[in-house]
Amino acid sequence: MWEFIVRSLDASTIFTIAALSELLGQRSGVLNVGVEGVMLFGATIGFMVAQTTGSYLLGFLAGIAIGGLIGLLHGFFSITLGSDQVVNGMGIWILGFGLTTYIGYPYTGPLGMERIPNVIGLSPFFFIGVALIIIAWFVLTKTSLGLRIRSVGENPSVAEVSGINVTRTRYLSVITSGMLMGFAGAIYSLDYNPVWSNDFLMGWGFIALALVFFSMWNPYILLGGSILFGTLWQLSLNPQLVLPDLMSRYIWRTVPFTITVGALMLMSTEWFRARWGAAKPEALGQPYIKD
Amino acid sequence: MKLGSFEVKLEKRVSLPGWEATLISLLAILVALVVFSYIFVRAGVNPLTGYKEIFSYAFMSSFGLPLTINRFIFLLLCTYAFIIPIRAGLWNIGMAGQLYAGALSAFAVAFAFGAKTSQNAVLPPGLVIPLMIAAAILGGAVVGAIAGFLKGRFNTNEIVVTMMLNFITYWIVARLIKEGGLFMGASGEGDGFKIPESIYAPLVKNVPFTVFIALGLAMLLYFLFAKTKIGYQIKAYGKSPSAAKYAGISPYKIPLLVFIMGGLIAGLAGYHYFAAVPGVYKITKNYGDFGDLAFYGIICGLISQGDALAAIPIALLFGGLTNGGRFAQGKLKLGFGIDYALLGVLMITLVAFQFFYRYKIVVVRTKKETSDVGIHS
Repeated sequence: MWEFIVRSLDASTIFTIAALSELLGQRSGVLNVGVEGVMLFGATIGFMVAQTTGSYLLGFLAGIAIGGLIGLLHGFFSITLGSDQVVNGMGIWILGFGLTTYIGYPYTGPLGMERIPNVIGLSPFFFIGVALIIIAWFVLTKTSLGLRIRSVGENPSVAEVSGINVTRTRYLSVITSGMLMGFAGAIYSLDYNPVWSNDFLMGWGFIALALVFFSMWNPYILLGGSILFGTLWQLSLNPQLVLPDLMSRYIWRTVPFTITVGALMLMSTEWFRARWGAAKPEALGQPYIKD
Repeated sequence: MKLGSFEVKLEKRVSLPGWEATLISLLAILVALVVFSYIFVRAGVNPLTGYKEIFSYAFMSSFGLPLTINRFIFLLLCTYAFIIPIRAGLWNIGMAGQLYAGALSAFAVAFAFGAKTSQNAVLPPGLVIPLMIAAAILGGAVVGAIAGFLKGRFNTNEIVVTMMLNFITYWIVARLIKEGGLFMGASGEGDGFKIPESIYAPLVKNVPFTVFIALGLAMLLYFLFAKTKIGYQIKAYGKSPSAAKYAGISPYKIPLLVFIMGGLIAGLAGYHYFAAVPGVYKITKNYGDFGDLAFYGIICGLISQGDALAAIPIALLFGGLTNGGRFAQGKLKLGFGIDYALLGVLMITLVAFQFFYRYKIVVVRTKKETSDVGIHS
């Protein structure tokens, strides 16, 4: 049971960081539906660099760097060119999915490095994830930088008039967001499951995207949701730990996805919106073009 | 930007003539192929040789051409499954899930007629084949309808929902064809059961008859969007759902409708690949690869700008490229997954090019530099 809880928290960490990165970008008004693609890049490049150099540190740095680069690309398309953000995000997802399948293929197999040591029984990244949540909450709600990020996400024209550089603020958010997505991917391939095979994420990025909608753009609710989904994911992989022989293991694998659909549906009902309020950033998905 | 006495600037397009859109699309494909040649260079192969290998296998060889045509039919159906919702501004990235459901439903019919128990069973093709197709359509439509209903009724994000449905159906297929599942094949190696020869889909010159369905749909969709009220309503919803509402177009009905239509076409794609392509006739253990291939439908749909007829040559091109790519990969030792890499490169090039659908580059002559005019002392 302890083993199950530990693995669940490990999985939650990846959801937490991936979803938090998306939340950060969305708070500045930029939607990136290609979380999965950025994560695949971070995971694959991180894995390749770590295995080649034998250094975890370099692997993580490479994962973060490629994530930042992809974030920059998304920013260029979405902020500078002002193109449709959904199309851009789809492009990034398919680019990640297609290209990492090709470049990572020669690295198929286990990482073959000594595992990253635990801290009081848990992966060190769990603590980093929780710390990032607290930092994000603090920055977003208590600092002037956070106010700037939120205001460009709510009403960029008003923000611009009050002296905030919308373009620069959005770029900052989107690049940081990409770096965190790359980091989340690298945690998957270097710590959670250090074996490379093609398209191994199997939907983590899309669940992370859904988590942002569940969280109502609040980092603490996001953390709760991530822990729930990390547990569900782990349960779907090892159902025998909790409920022996109830369903086929394949059917268990559908459970996190089914629950995502169900929760997303609940979230979008009018009852829910009226009761909990929709905290969706007002300018989400809209390019800002200065006239 | 100034260049001498000329100024280069971007101008927002008011309208985009058809020929210019075509030109931009062709240019995007060309740029993607040039970028993609890096993969040949990396493997020490001259890109021209590489492309020659790909195209000659895909379109000239007697082995490659039938495979290209089968992929073309599949991709065209996947493209239509994407195009109909995108005309309403909605993203169907659930072609994979819908085609798995279509394939499962078609095989369920075959199963019900006892196709699993005897490989040599003589079943009435005139009855079983139409039923298999009907079931495939229904299966795809049901999975599509889930996303369409949730979008229309609750405004639930269709991208996440369709993607989740892809994974759900992916695992349901695994449940049914593996480890003692109902549709497991006799070999027990993870493939589904094979249908008896008596219900193989009819071939016309070695091409499955599904090609006529796909091309018929091309005409039908062209007509739907050019001439019918419902086509107009879909487009109006796509331009602005809220404005469409005031024009009396139901905001519930349109999402449901476009996803049902998309889903049923994807269901046909599932029937086509697993029950009509010569040499397959079963749900193969690598069915996930066909789900991945379905994502080319997104690219074909975007490049063709939602035009059902323009999608035909594009689907043919990509059918050939992916098929020839697989062949060249083996022959030229390019490493696994070049069809996936091409998918990625094409998509991102296209994303970059969408800018030019909205803006054009204009060069204007600025006033001649007048350095000779001044105050003479």
